[in-house]
Amino acid sequence: MNPQHRLDVLRGVTPPRPHDARAIAALAANPGCARRALMDGAGVDKDAAARHLGFPAPFGQSPFAITRGNVFEALVKADGCAELLRMLRELLGLPVAEVAYHDVENVGAHLRHAHTRTLIDRAARDEHDAGTLYDHPLLSLEIAGHTAYLEPDVVAFQLGGRFHIVEIKSFAVIDGQADPSAVAAAARQAAVYVLALRTLLEELGHDPLKVSHDVVLVCPENFANRPVASLVDVRRQLAVLRRQLTRMSALDRLLEGLPDDLTFDLRPDDDGRPTRPVAELADALRRTTARYAPDCLSTCDMCFFCRDEARQEGASDLLGRQVRDELGGVASVAEALGLADGTRDPAAGQEEIARLLRNAERLRKECLT
Amino acid sequence: MSDRLDDLERRIDELRAGVRTAMRARDGARARVLRAELRGAERAWDALVSGERPVKEEPPRLVTVREQVHQGLRLLGAAAQPRLIVAVSAAFFGGTISSSRLTSLRRDEERSFRSSPFGRPYYLCAALTDRLSPARGLLTLSAWPLERRVVGPLSPRVDFLTCAIAVAEQETGDERADRLLVRMARNIPGAADGTLGPPHRGRVIEAARAELRVHADRDTRDRAELAQRAVAQLDDAARLFGAATLGTIKKEYAT
Amino acid sequence: MSLLTSLARLRALDEGIAQPIATVRHCHLADRPMVFIPLKLSGEAAAPLAAMLGADRDRPRLLVVAQPRNRDLRFAWAAELAGVLLPYVEGFLRDTETVERRNADPYERAIDAPQILVPNRAGVAFVRLLGRSMRFRRADGPYPVPESVPLLGRWLTYFAERAAYPGSSLMPAMTEELGRHWASGQSGLEDANLAALLAWITTGPSDDAEDPLIWPPAGPATDPGFDAEVLAPAMESGSAERVTEALRTQLEPSWRLMWQAIDLLAGLEEGAGVASRWEQDRGSFSGMAAHVAEGAPPQPRRDGAVAAAARLARMERAQAAYDAQRAYDDPLVMAEHRLTGEAFAGEVVDTDPGNTEGEGRSRKLRPLVVIKTDDPVRLSPGTSLGTPQRRAQGAELVSAGEGLVTVKITKGMGRGRTAAPGAVPEIGERVCYTSLTDDFQGSPALPDAEATPWTHGGPPREYVPDDEDAQEEWS
Ligand code: SF4
Repeated sequence: MNPQHRLDVLRGVTPPRPHDARAIAALAANPGCARRALMDGAGVDKDAAARHLGFPAPFGQSPFAITRGNVFEALVKADGCAELLRMLRELLGLPVAEVAYHDVENVGAHLRHAHTRTLIDRAARDEHDAGTLYDHPLLSLEIAGHTAYLEPDVVAFQLGGRFHIVEIKSFAVIDGQADPSAVAAAARQAAVYVLALRTLLEELGHDPLKVSHDVVLVCPENFANRPVASLVDVRRQLAVLRRQLTRMSALDRLLEGLPDDLTFDLRPDDDGRPTRPVAELADALRRTTARYAPDCLSTCDMCFFCRDEARQEGASDLLGRQVRDELGGVASVAEALGLADGTRDPAAGQEEIARLLRNAERLRKECLT
Repeated sequence: MSDRLDDLERRIDELRAGVRTAMRARDGARARVLRAELRGAERAWDALVSGERPVKEEPPRLVTVREQVHQGLRLLGAAAQPRLIVAVSAAFFGGTISSSRLTSLRRDEERSFRSSPFGRPYYLCAALTDRLSPARGLLTLSAWPLERRVVGPLSPRVDFLTCAIAVAEQETGDERADRLLVRMARNIPGAADGTLGPPHRGRVIEAARAELRVHADRDTRDRAELAQRAVAQLDDAARLFGAATLGTIKKEYAT
Repeated sequence: MSLLTSLARLRALDEGIAQPIATVRHCHLADRPMVFIPLKLSGEAAAPLAAMLGADRDRPRLLVVAQPRNRDLRFAWAAELAGVLLPYVEGFLRDTETVERRNADPYERAIDAPQILVPNRAGVAFVRLLGRSMRFRRADGPYPVPESVPLLGRWLTYFAERAAYPGSSLMPAMTEELGRHWASGQSGLEDANLAALLAWITTGPSDDAEDPLIWPPAGPATDPGFDAEVLAPAMESGSAERVTEALRTQLEPSWRLMWQAIDLLAGLEEGAGVASRWEQDRGSFSGMAAHVAEGAPPQPRRDGAVAAAARLARMERAQAAYDAQRAYDDPLVMAEHRLTGEAFAGEVVDTDPGNTEGEGRSRKLRPLVVIKTDDPVRLSPGTSLGTPQRRAQGAELVSAGEGLVTVKITKGMGRGRTAAPGAVPEIGERVCYTSLTDDFQGSPALPDAEATPWTHGGPPREYVPDDEDAQEEWS
């Protein structure tokens, strides 16, 4: 059976969950996890699966945050992107004549992707009326055999003949500093757009490197709503992303050794309500190897399920990478404690960590009694 | 009374928890039912606690929303977004509209026009894109020539500069007008003088005109071409409110 | 994290209850701490939503911004907050003591200082942003604010900055403080949840702690579900009471947790070094108060290069001192150093109290002590050592091997020909020696602020807040 077919079996009759840029960016979050790679590769709706298993993901966005994001984006784009033009002129030396604005959304939704292609092609050919700002473009990217459609905020062109992805985020930059995790997330997301746009140029027969790896990040500055732009180099994020995508298209190895009929299907009824017995689905998932880490709690819909599994297994992963590293590869809690109190003999290669653990145990006992 | 309040509070807490649990389980139907009950309980609580239901007071409106938008657009003289129109109306006419009230305006105008064409002295209408469809979020006036109501690639910028000049030409001491001008001037090269006070109006006008000169030729050409196409292809209603796109046609057939 | 702590975490996980990693309390606990739990509006940088605060656990104050997008209401809230916090802070300036200094004028130091406790590190970060958003406001000119607001902004900035100073107890983050004393059986990430961490310490892990319906987050972020289902409709209704009551439900549980955590910490005996670190806090606080009184400008937006380097160096020294002090105060912390071989403990098996070095007038008493230890000693001969048992003494490692360590006492023996009674450990006594020393080096030679090398941006301009600072809208 070919891998694509096997992936379809994995997903079953549950409709595939289309990936957005945030989801694709998150693919790279735990590259070592086979369970996640398989679920994402098959387009499984992890959120629905987790809910059905009784472990709904702890994610949610406040309506206040959503409104604020929309308001800020509207402000940046208001009046023919007046604010954005100012920033591009200041930041990248965009010539004054470059103001042409194309709202890709002026065509019907079903034409948006084709229209984006046409416009980008025209720009890349450098025809004289090539635009400068493309609002609401629709790009696509193949993820393990499925097409994901992506909507960057704006694509800017004519900055030295290169395309720049513009990413508008509503977290504040205060006195030149922003929340590093928010910036990192924005960079990961922007890298997905860069990759998609490069792929598009390549398909059209243009040089993909016409898309800059410097993305323009626009955020509110200080406590005013005034937008400020900065360039963010996303080369590293691009490399990680590419690696993960290649890995996902080479899922055959992960599929090896799994039964042919293994499926994560939820078997939705006519109303879309899952009917698959929970225990059965859980068993199917447990056939795949997870690599739980506390970071999953902020990046993966399956986190509570996998944490629960790690708890049942008594895995030291629960305590975080630092503890894991400290334990030098002793994976189970019982094993580590056994080595510490001497009830278990170290396996080959564990002598050093066993000695340390025994010492640590002796010291704790001495100090606490 | 406080007994009843206690009861209500307990009930409200239960309902809220119920709604959130249902939301987390993505059980929309149940959440809706509970939410409705919750609103009822909250209203009862409000009524009990304050003796009556709080009513939001609306300031008396002498000029209709429609007329306020008309005034704003007349002043600006170019296609503009609701946000800008609201700001202008507030700064120069003491307007009280909020942009959310403008969303249904265009549809109402179109309905009125279709039931009795040219029955009103003016209509608030759409700007037309290069596909002659209504441009998203832009308002224009029916009295304007078509060239002013179509938008080519450079038109958003040209219109912005035109609007900035119009705002700068107004004489007022209103603080809101100053703030609006500061905001616009900031985005025009050479218009702001680096100080924090309100920018010099003559300077703004000059800077905006200078940039306009860069874009004017091409924009005029683009617009003339679009206007010609609109005249050739569109009926009266579509000239004012835009040709339906494929998507909207489909939607209309469906309903 | 050390292996010792990792082991404690494993043990906690196995036993289902947190394990102690300290035997004494390493932070100061004020007689009258101020608990401060601020909430912010989601999606905004520093738009306050509410705060529950107070120094009396039975009477929390609840301050609410019923419409957080309304600037005037936000500043009214800030003024209300100032009305509670400033009198608390300034109340400590009444009683002072005069401190003599060697090469400087004596100064007045407050006898006690304020202590503002926030739930977690994100709370400290939010306090910093609140401070930043308030301290440049003006009571006059455009966008005037109540006079107390910029002053509060300076104090909040001060407290948040001081919170980053190792060993300071002026603004502790509760989850951090608890985490310094107990190891839970969950990850550090999950420890940032106050309810979860407290559950581990008191009753054992509970999934309730992660259910925002049972334990709302301790801020500053609110639960998105609460925002959508409760807060947004309440705000829309325009009823301030409803918003207030809604926010009360989110804050009250955390309020109880904060006081429970205080009780837990109070149950630990105070470490020996706590008082001296608190003395530093008092000095720092008094310095800040004097600064404010002299009419100095608010803290700059960013430090100049020299100030930043000096700050970094200060922090590093404080960290080293804090680490060393905790080890001297607490055998369980010292054990971490024993595990890595920088300290050892054991029983004295032999002594030579009369050993001397040098001849004639320069002849000095240098008693030798031999200790039997199970610890893996990784110190080379000649290393200087200190000991928690006799803090005034200094010693030197002579030799180590086969579980026996010979140590020579080099400092603190006085001028006598024989050792004073008790100065040299007796055979059979348990002792501990470590290469950690509390007397860190003095400040590195940094150029004065005026002499900032041009590579670092030249001398900083004296920071003068301008109108732009004052006019900056508040989100
Ligand atoms: S939560 Fe589970 S499936 Fe997701 S990345 Fe972590 S271990 Fe893999």
